[in-house]
Parts: sequence; C-alpha cells; structure tokens
Amino acid sequence: MIVTLLLAVAISTPPQGQPLSGPALDQRTQEVASLLRCPVCQGMSVADSPSTVAQDMKHQVRDMLSKGYTQEQILSYFEKSYGQFVLEKPKNPLVWILPILILIIGAVVVATTAKKLSAEPTAATADPEPATDPYVEQVRKLVNHD
Amino acid sequence: MNRTVLIVGIAITLALVAVLFLGLGKDPTAIDSPLVGKPAPPFVLKSVNTSETIDINQLRGKPVVVNFWATWCGPCFQEHPVLVENARVIPNVQFVGVVFNDTADKINAFLHQNGSSYPTLLDEQGKTAIEYGVGGVPETFFINRKGIIVAKYVGPMSTEVLQANVAKAMTE
Amino acid sequence: MIATLGRFIILTSVFVSAAGAMIAFAAGKRQSLDGLKLARRFAYAFAALMVLAVGVMEYALLTHDFSVSYVAQVGSREVPTWVTIVSLWSSLEGSILFWGLVMGLYIAGATWLTRNAYPDYMPFAIGTWLSCAAFFSFLISGPANPFITVPQPPLDGNGPNPLLQNHILMVAHPPFLYLGYVGMTIPFGFACAALLRGRLGHSFLKPLRASLMLPWIFLTIAIMLGGWWAYEVLGWGGYWAWDPVENASLLPWLTATAALHSAVVMERRGVLKGWTVTLVQASFLLTILGTFMTRSGVFNSVHSFTQSSIGPTILVFLAAALLFSVVLLALRVDSLESEGRIESPVSREGMFLVNNLIFVLLTFTVLIGTVFPLVVEALRGKQMSVGRPYFDSMVVPTGTALLFLIGVGPALPWGRPKRDQLVRSLLLPFASGAILGAIGFLAGARNPWTLVTLLFGGYAAWVTIVEMSRGGAKVLKRGRRRVGAYIVHAGAVIVLVAIAVSSTMKTQTEVQLTRGQSANIGMYTVTFLGAEDRTEPNRTSMIARFAVTSNGKPVTTMEPRMNQYPQMREPIGTPDVYSTVARDLYLSITNIDPGSQSVSVMMLITPMVSWIWIAVIVMGLGGVVALVPQRRVLAAEAEDRVPDVAAEVA
Repeated sequence: MIVTLLLAVAISTPPQGQPLSGPALDQRTQEVASLLRCPVCQGMSVADSPSTVAQDMKHQVRDMLSKGYTQEQILSYFEKSYGQFVLEKPKNPLVWILPILILIIGAVVVATTAKKLSAEPTAATADPEPATDPYVEQVRKLVNHD
Repeated sequence: MNRTVLIVGIAITLALVAVLFLGLGKDPTAIDSPLVGKPAPPFVLKSVNTSETIDINQLRGKPVVVNFWATWCGPCFQEHPVLVENARVIPNVQFVGVVFNDTADKINAFLHQNGSSYPTLLDEQGKTAIEYGVGGVPETFFINRKGIIVAKYVGPMSTEVLQANVAKAMTE
Repeated sequence: MIATLGRFIILTSVFVSAAGAMIAFAAGKRQSLDGLKLARRFAYAFAALMVLAVGVMEYALLTHDFSVSYVAQVGSREVPTWVTIVSLWSSLEGSILFWGLVMGLYIAGATWLTRNAYPDYMPFAIGTWLSCAAFFSFLISGPANPFITVPQPPLDGNGPNPLLQNHILMVAHPPFLYLGYVGMTIPFGFACAALLRGRLGHSFLKPLRASLMLPWIFLTIAIMLGGWWAYEVLGWGGYWAWDPVENASLLPWLTATAALHSAVVMERRGVLKGWTVTLVQASFLLTILGTFMTRSGVFNSVHSFTQSSIGPTILVFLAAALLFSVVLLALRVDSLESEGRIESPVSREGMFLVNNLIFVLLTFTVLIGTVFPLVVEALRGKQMSVGRPYFDSMVVPTGTALLFLIGVGPALPWGRPKRDQLVRSLLLPFASGAILGAIGFLAGARNPWTLVTLLFGGYAAWVTIVEMSRGGAKVLKRGRRRVGAYIVHAGAVIVLVAIAVSSTMKTQTEVQLTRGQSANIGMYTVTFLGAEDRTEPNRTSMIARFAVTSNGKPVTTMEPRMNQYPQMREPIGTPDVYSTVARDLYLSITNIDPGSQSVSVMMLITPMVSWIWIAVIVMGLGGVVALVPQRRVLAAEAEDRVPDVAAEVA
C-alpha cells in the first residue's frame, strides 16, 4: 500500500496503458529493462546486469508495467532520478541524424565518382589497348595453355 | 596540394583530438545527479531502531541529511562513526539513514555494535533509493529547510566533507 | 639486476629505432642503396632487441623475480605456469612490451620479404615503421615501464586480474588482437612510402595488399574471440554490446575490409589509388585511437581494467600521426595518377564503390555513437548514453544492405554488362533466397528483418558458390586469391544470417527453483540438483548443479556459478553453456542461496550461435587461402604493361 502511495505521488500522471501480467509482463519487463542503463555497472543494461541496483530497478520496471504504466512513463520516471545517462537510447536527435547525413553525402560522392571514373579515358592511361602487341599475345597464349 | 583533403583532414583531426583531450580529465563513472536543485522526492518509511515512521516532508523547516547505506558495505562501515558523531554535535540538523537490500535484524545488530544517534529507515526493495537515483552505497543527500536537495555526495565522507555539505544546506 | 638489464635493452631500442628511422628517410630522400641496406639492419636490430626484452621479462616472470615492477604487479607463485607465461599481456606495461615484440617481428618480416625489391619505396616504408617503433619503445621506456626496480621486493605478488583467469579464451584473444592491430603498421608504412615517393606503381600493390591481408585475418578472428569470450564469461547471454572497447577493435577492421576491396579495383583498373591509401592510413590510425580508448580511462567500459595513465602520451602520438597522414595525403595524393577508368557504374567495379560507401558509413556510425557522449559532456557538461539500441538500429539495416551487396556485387560482371546477361545473373539467385526464407519461416522465423536476411543470405550464397566454382578444380592452384575471397564471403554470409537468427529467435526465461524442482525451456527440461560452496585459492564460489534432459533422455549436467573474489565488491557470475550445432543452452545464475538450496537462474536458448564462431574461422581461412603466394613468373612481367590480363590470370 505504501508502495502504491509512493508511486502515485512520484508519478503525477496515472498509468496510461494496460496492466500486464504473465509471459507478456515478463517479456515487456525484459524489453523496457534493456532500454535502461545500469548506473553503476560499466556499460550494461538493467536487463543484463546481475548487480543489486539493477535487480531493484528491474523489479521496479516490472511493478510499474503490471500497474499499466507505459514505456515512456517508466523511462521518464528513471530519467528524473538518474538523469539522461540512464537512457540507453539517446534522446538527442543529432546522433540519429548524423549517420543519415553521412549516408546521403557518401552516396552523392560515390555517384559522382562513378560518373567521373567512367566519363572519358584519362590522359595518363597506360599504353593504349595493346591488341596487336606481339609480346602480350605471346603471354596470352602461354597463360591460356598453362 | 589538395585543399579538400587538407581541410577535411585537419577538421577531423582537431575535432577528435579536442574531444578526447577534454575527456581525459574526467571520470566516466561519475554521474551528476539531476536532483540537485530540485525538491527532495517524498518518502514515508519505518525506522528500525526508534520505532517511528518518518515522512520526509514533515521534516521541512530544518536542514536534513539523508544517508543511504547498507550493512554489507565496507565504506559505509568506515563512514558510520563520522555520521554518528556529527549528528550528535551539529544542532538543528536532522540526520536520517536509509538502508536498502538489507534486513532489520542485520541493521539492528550493526547499530547495536557501532552506535547510532538518529533514525535508520528500512527501504525494503530499494524503491526510495531508486527515487533518489542511488547507484551504490554510501550516497548522501543534503536537503535545505525548504526541502530542496542542495548537494549529493557519492562515497564515504570525512568530517570535513560532511560539514562542508551541511553548511551548504544551512545557508540556502 | 634483471630490471636494469631490461631497461637497458629498451633504451637501446629507442635509440636504434629512432636512428634507423632517420637513416631510412635520408636514404629515401637520396635514393641511396647503401643507406637502405643500413636502415634494414637497424630494423632487424630493433626486432632482435624486442625479442630479447620479452625474453628477459618472461624469465623474470617464470623465476618470480619480484624485484621487477611488472612481476610484482602480476606475478604470483600460486598460479599455474601457463598463467604466468600469459600474464605478459595481462596488464598494461607488459602488454605494451608485447606490442613492441609483435611490431618488431612484423617489421623484421616485412623488411626481409622485401629485401630484394622496391628499392625506391622501401626506405620510406622502413622509415615509417621505425618511427612508430620509436614511439612504442619510448612508451615502454618511460610511461609504461615494466622494468622498474622494486626497492623492497615482496615475497609474493597478487597474480593477474582474476577475470583473466576465468577462461581459456582470454589467452587467445589478446595475441590475435595484437597481431591484427600492430600488423596494420606495415601497410601504413607502404602507403606512406607510396605517398612520399609520389607514385603507386602496379607492382607495389602486391606488398600493400598482402601486408593488409595478414593482419586483417588476425583481427577478424580476434574480434570473434572477444565476442565469444564475452558470451561464455560475462553471463548476460549475448556476445556483442557495442561497448567502447569492442567498437575500438571493430573500427580498423571496417576500414581495412574497405581497403581490401578498393584495392581490387585499384589493381584491375588503376583507379582509386588515393582513396585506397587513405583507407590504409585510416586503418592504422584507428588502431592508435583504439588503444587510446582502451587504456585512457576516458570511456565507461566493461574492459575498464586496462585503464592507466598513459592516455595523454598516446593522444599526442595519435595527433601527430593524424597530422602527418593528413598533410602527406594533401601534398601527394594528386600525384598518384590514375591509370585507367571504369566502364560503367552498373558493374562489379561500381558495386565495389557501394561496398566502400557502406563500410565507411559503418565506421562513422560506430565512431559517432562511441564518441558522442564525450562531445556532449565537453560542450554541455551533461552526461548521456549511446547504448546498444542505438547501434542495433543503425547497424542492422546497414548490415542487411551489405549482405545484399555480397550477392549482387559478384553477380555483376566486370566492365559493361550485357542486358540479358544482367537479368539472368541478377534474378536467378532469388530462387535460393526464397528457399532459405521459406525454410526459416517453417522453422518459426517471423521477424521481418530475419526473413529479409534469409532471403538475401540465400541469394548471396548462390552467387558466391557459382563464382567460386568458376574455373573448375584448377582454381585452387591458379585462382587462389579469388577463391579465398569467396570463401571469406561464404563465411560472412553465414555470420550475418547466424547473427540475425540467434538474435531474433532466442528463447529466454528466468525462474526460481528449489532443490529438485524443474523448469522447461524449449526442448529442454532443467532440474536443479543443488547448490554448494567451493573454496579455491583465489576465490570462493557458489555452484548450482543442474541436470538437463530432453524428451526424458538425459542430455548433460551444467554448473553455472557465482564467484566471489576477495578484491571485488560484487560477485561475478560465470554461466555454463551447452553448445550443439543447432543451438546453445545457456544458464546464468542471478541469485543463489546454498543455505535454503534455492537459486534464481536465467535460462536462454540461442539458435545457431556456434555457427558464428565457426563461420568467422572460415573467413580467416579464406584469407589464408587468398594470401598463399602463387607462381606468377609469367604474370609478374606482364603486369606492369597489361594490368587487366595479369589480374584475370591471378
């Protein structure tokens, strides 16, 4: 009862989703816990870490899911206490946009390079196609029979 | 001289080296608490050694020191005498201990052996600890008269550290 | 005394490598053959000194000479001999010494193999190598000195980090990683030599490619060993968490793979020289960045036991090497003349360009994700995380595109494709793709990514097999480089498919059992037999014994444990894994109480995960096949004049 009181006080908005139970609850606990970072372990998520803090946090996640809190509500609950550090999925849009930008720039570069390289024969091409070069013919013959 | 290569290359070099250089002075495991400057999260917990129930909100009007610890924690054991002594000596400041992931029996045994001068509360499943963003023990929060957290200290405290932080809680 | 001897050897190596570098560069500038000969001697001398230094250190370790600082740090009379031998690389100072050894051996080998050739390039290459050698010698002599004399030697040492004594894989991973990482110095030297000379001739491609291929093989295996070790030891059931140090090992692998591919176009068409050289330089620079990330303490990582105070020194070298590479590239890249062209963007050559785009994109993405929190903290003072969900979202689609490319690329012919040929070679493989997808669907795969991966994987497998068998049985003698490459591709296809299947089709559950109780997972029934305490000299363990049956028939017993090491606060779990070809059964303890004989255990069935380890080894073997030199007596002479013919023969 105290627990419910605490939660109701801590999260000012009521649960906005459906309460979960059984295997669905287990699965969602695992999923949401893997979006939270264990604050003391070196780089493990709450789902993966065996440390006591992570176990407590996982318990809390499970509890909140069973009462019907949504993933967003749960994540912002932990963010309030631990800061953005605890979110495994970064909120900052820049980190998501940059690779896409690089993809676009890269694609443009590749397209222009491909065009440039297939445009006209460069002046520095080695000896023009030596179709009649006797030495090459000899090599070709030897090589093909080997 | 290929200008593009030079400019792009130097830009990447400078940016990378600058970022890495700035990272050198910091400890990547030290995380700042987002609660500093915010109201202390409310809790109502039972004390194991003084049979009272403490509601943090009722303690407003006085500076409060909330120390999270556990009996299985070595540095907490080192820090304990500092807390007990200062709680006795500093007037008009409420000290509160919160233990989580532990049992009432072990706590009472510990306090019996090592002394206590303020209520020690049991946070059964660490929910209050999570509210306060506690990662490990010991961690101590300093709350001013208005109920705002003014400082958080991670790790065992010496008397100097403790008193400096209490002073912060008293001025604001 | 040993410590003094060690210090003396290292200081000599600093002088030898620095002097050798200067002699080499001078010889290069003056194109002096005598100078080159002298520089080679200095290269061999450096290698000899490194071998000597490591010999001295191993002697000190094996005789438990605690007057040597490194031995006092990691030595112990109580650990088995093999642990003593490998503790050479168990902690920072020793591992930098090991780096020096590997570097010395690589430099000596490369110098010897090129002793009769490329006299106009080699002085610059040797100069570059010995400059890197000088830096690492300096590191060993000063900031990371393992030979400091301990004034009052202790009677016994602490032994190496307990995490490193947990599993045999820990023995193999560092050497393979170093052979990969340090090996990138050699192609870096060749690339700088080409730039310094202002020319990248066709015949110089051979040493450049071979010297890139060898470390690539080691690095590929090393990355897999790291993942396998994490899977067997860390207890969370996965093999890759996008941890900063894991990313550090991956970054140079990505650019090296890109370079190996663009080198093929360079060899066939004489284009992309400057770009290939850039990729080779990047591969080396990323290894320096990687070692900084691992040892500087700047990143929050599971690997953090390798943190130390040599970060600033490595950063200075990184900055210097970066500047040197950029300036050299800017000054000389335009002098690396293209000798040809590609005929059509829609061709195998064009696909190589797309390949490079994808690998460079992956490199930037992993780098950005790893470094971003640092940038934000530097600029705004706030801490944030970029974790697994980010990397998975970015890398999975890119990896799937790569898988598709492994199919489409080789399906396209070189040069300008003919229309009907194109349609046939591009469409037919979809048949096997559909079959594989159907098999997966019947086996229970429902995740769209997995199904797409199976489709592309089947497609790529068809193309790879067709291309590999072009030319019949003779191909192993004559077309080794091509066959080797396709073996690597085959391995890569299996890896990508196995990763998709093992990630999306696993079954996981967590149960609490008391003694005698059972739980079911997939086709297995797991019964808890009991918990017991076991005390070993370096740790106390709580072991949970389980009997595993399937359809009533006994399969195996498993013993995951929780280990408490005296110097660590939280206990460390060791899972137990039962591997079969089709799947792994993985048990990891979250809570254990011998008193009440109860245990909380995480059970996991991961299909096809062993295929990943095996397929990566196949990739390594493919690289070895490609690397074995062929009889190229005739081809070698023709090469410089007729690039295309020679390349076809090869």
